[in-house]
Amino acid sequence: MATEAPLTDAHTKPNPAGPAIVAVAAWIVPGLGHLLLRRWGRALGFFLATAGLALGGYGLRGEVFSPRSSDPFGALGFIADVGSGVFYFLSHLFETAGPELSRASGDYGTRLLAASGIVNLLGVIDAFGIARGRRG
Amino acid sequence: MHVHLSHFATMAIFALLVSVAFACVGRHTLATRIKYALLSFLLFLAIGIGVAWLMYPLSR
Repeated sequence: MATEAPLTDAHTKPNPAGPAIVAVAAWIVPGLGHLLLRRWGRALGFFLATAGLALGGYGLRGEVFSPRSSDPFGALGFIADVGSGVFYFLSHLFETAGPELSRASGDYGTRLLAASGIVNLLGVIDAFGIARGRRG
Repeated sequence: MHVHLSHFATMAIFALLVSVAFACVGRHTLATRIKYALLSFLLFLAIGIGVAWLMYPLSR
């Protein structure tokens, strides 16, 4: 069983931003919430994971769900997609050719985009917990 | 932007990136994060390939 590292300076300094600001920052820009909390490793990890999954999804021409979807799965897809923050808001820059759902790769792309949002939401919850002092 | 990836490469990229995120949440030191991410990545691949083989008879 590995031992936990001793608390460093970054862990003991008071949090300059409130938990709500940290959570919103973590959602808008993946990793920014942890950056505000001086958790450099987690910030980099969440940014790389979210960005990699989102860019992979756009590269595979996955479907980006809009907030005006009429079917329940579309609504769930939108919630998952919008979780990736800036990568969702700038989707028109990344996916200029539109989705390609007639091929398996387009379907995989849709899953990668959803995973990107879910991973970032995990980061938001983690950053919020740290900001509230409930996580190490 | 358009990339061409095989099914396996897509699964491996997904597994790697999700494993990194899990390691960031689940572990606190760099060494334990790397170990956790590697183990998670290998398990993703092993289970993915295992499930693919189990489903193989259904595709014929």
